Amino acid sequence: MLIDTNVNLGPWPFSPLPEHTGPQLAAHLAESGIRRALVSDLRAVFLPDPMPANRRLFAAVKSAPALHPVPVINPALRTWREQLAECRAAAPIRAVKILPNYHNYTLKSRHLDAFVAALADAGLKLILNVRLEDERHKYFALRMKGVPVVALAGFLRRFPTHHPLLAGIYKPDLEKLAGECGNFSAEISFCEWANTLEALVKKIPARRLMLGTCTPLLSTRAEVDKLVRASLPARTKALIGFENARRFFNL
Amino acid sequence: MRIIDVHAHPILFRQGAKPAEVAQLIRRSRALGIVRMISLGDVLLHGKHPTAAQVSAMNDVNGRLQKSHPDFFVSFCFLNPVLGERAVMKEVDRCVTKYGFKGIKLEISNNAREACMVPVMEAARRFGLVVLQHSWSMVNLKARRFHSDPEDTTLLARRHPDVKIIMAHLTGCGFRGVLEAKGCGNLFVDTSGGFPEEGLIEYAAEHLGADHVLYGSDLPIRENSVTIGRILGARISAADKKKMLYENTARLLGLN
Repeated sequence: MLIDTNVNLGPWPFSPLPEHTGPQLAAHLAESGIRRALVSDLRAVFLPDPMPANRRLFAAVKSAPALHPVPVINPALRTWREQLAECRAAAPIRAVKILPNYHNYTLKSRHLDAFVAALADAGLKLILNVRLEDERHKYFALRMKGVPVVALAGFLRRFPTHHPLLAGIYKPDLEKLAGECGNFSAEISFCEWANTLEALVKKIPARRLMLGTCTPLLSTRAEVDKLVRASLPARTKALIGFENARRFFNL
Repeated sequence: MRIIDVHAHPILFRQGAKPAEVAQLIRRSRALGIVRMISLGDVLLHGKHPTAAQVSAMNDVNGRLQKSHPDFFVSFCFLNPVLGERAVMKEVDRCVTKYGFKGIKLEISNNAREACMVPVMEAARRFGLVVLQHSWSMVNLKARRFHSDPEDTTLLARRHPDVKIIMAHLTGCGFRGVLEAKGCGNLFVDTSGGFPEEGLIEYAAEHLGADHVLYGSDLPIRENSVTIGRILGARISAADKKKMLYENTARLLGLN
């Protein structure tokens, strides 16, 4: 029983990826042992207003109870409060995702003060997306870099009582950040080196790591095997594979 | 399932060379089904342009690794083509004679379309070696003076149709790289390099044929469980997975 904290529905304009319905995505994840997943819609990455993508997401997961919708909100838009309210009314959400680099604001943005406070008031977790792709392989005209580790550290220091989940962070950045800040968790989709997890748990406690596959941009089976075939105690695998996510998102 | 990893650096920047580390690597690899591993050497230890002495020293380390575990490691001869014909021929002759190397590994000393590649290919022809050429799309990296774009590696293969060439790093070569390689009978692509991006294995199988796709990890920069899982999870037939993971490289290098 695995919980995947980084899954997406919808198309990606730069790769011929499989476009799943909600039930198809749930079945695909189940083939790799994933029984529950936190899911967003990739259309929200490029739309100037992410709400049409969020509405599609809520409709898609209605017939797939294993999928928990994670709407994308852009706090730099003046209407984020009403959009957050609409999302909360549409489905029992547990978290909200932000994509600062794709939505043209930095983690120093003043908009984040009220936004982070509003999430906390609503009992919602924040998923901070660092990247969706390896920068070296992006479409040539898409000049998008991941959120820098210095910006992540600044954000975490600015909100010391909050504890976001970082999605798509590279292993060296995660190790560096773990030495500076303790108030975050991270999913592991963009962490890789020989014996990835054995090395990572020496730098950051396993209770702050979660399985993430970045499906469908990355291979689900490959990302799951990183955890399943790691030389780690069963207890540690359980923490990373599902227990941390279950506790963090109150699933 | 039996697996051959055609692209690995068991020793990288001198890390992983201790006997206990080598033994652990073999044990872990075998647990994943890897029966043979192609060791390409510690190819970046001295930067882009190692001297002849440095090249020989790196090949000696790689040769000793193969000799210590001949049932597991198969080593390739690393070369700096810029050193010229005499140095290239001498080093290949030495390594084939002393260690029985099965192939040539080319990194980022030069671009694969340059004239200095002619003696390298002649050496491959003379000694019956496969050539594995570092390749990566230079669209975003802008370092084509040293790195070979898939277009360059494909040109090399077309210029030398009697030499079998492996274009490294399917992920780095991307969809365009697959199309560059399409229809080039002496060119193979290994699946190493980068994160396990979805769809590329299927795309390579469709456009190159599964016979031209070889499993590679780029260990230790990548993890074997991930790179193998990417093929096992691909939407291709079980027969094609078996070809990629074992049969193609076994046939190409004459391994049983």
